[in-house]
Amino acid sequence: MADSLLSYIALAMILFSIGFLGIISRKNIFIVYMSIELMLNAVNLIFIALGRYNESMQPQVIALIIIAIAAAEAAVFLSLIVVLYRRKKSLNSDIFTVLSQKDAAHE
Amino acid sequence: MVDIVFLVLAFFAVGGGLGMILFAQPMYSAMSLIVCLIALGGVFALLSAPFLFMVQIILYAGAIVTLLLFIVMFLNIKKEDLPDEPNKIITIVAGAVLLIPFNIMILKAFSTFPEKSMYILGDGFGAINDFGIELFRGWLVPFELISMLLLAALVGAVVYARKEKPNG
Repeated sequence: MADSLLSYIALAMILFSIGFLGIISRKNIFIVYMSIELMLNAVNLIFIALGRYNESMQPQVIALIIIAIAAAEAAVFLSLIVVLYRRKKSLNSDIFTVLSQKDAAHE
Repeated sequence: MVDIVFLVLAFFAVGGGLGMILFAQPMYSAMSLIVCLIALGGVFALLSAPFLFMVQIILYAGAIVTLLLFIVMFLNIKKEDLPDEPNKIITIVAGAVLLIPFNIMILKAFSTFPEKSMYILGDGFGAINDFGIELFRGWLVPFELISMLLLAALVGAVVYARKEKPNG
């Protein structure tokens, strides 16, 4: 089972689907962020499995670059969550549809 | 032997992912995400990528999720602050049913690849030496661009997180 490409791809697709379901079903902004991370990891797994299949190391370098981009995304996303939580006192992703400062002052 | 290791790692990865989207508290979700990411790191090691295995443990489980846990604790979220999600289970089940054709399509596309044994390669494949040579020979420009992106993200995070001036 661990010998075939298809089992790794199946695992990656299951994880990607779980991440997608988390994004569409949850309202908590933290869970949405974690689901995005899970989807990035699933794509990394596909890259590395194909790299092992072709015995090439270039996909591993791409996976490292994806991890670095995920780190940058984590910093910006989490500081945005902190700012929005301070302003609106909620974690519901629906209220983040209005970002204007003027509307926030009127409420 | 390798099959058993793969099955255990896959079980923990899928279980951690499911726990992440099912727990109501962000704290428990982050813990489940750590389990899932470490199991995925083990799968990377099975795929002869030992350097990425280390990067996954150190960077993902050690830095990114720890930063997330730090923010969750810092915001001090009460139970009544959590958004109520009445349709969570229904959406998950309906979404899973709708995603099945998409998954079948991808698996069908990959099943046309010829069978090939995927035993663990030796000879430093994926180890830090070969990885560094590959990174700095073929991927130097993306590497430098990543450093600029990280700098921009650092500045952006500081600009967002500083104290806001009251302006009208």
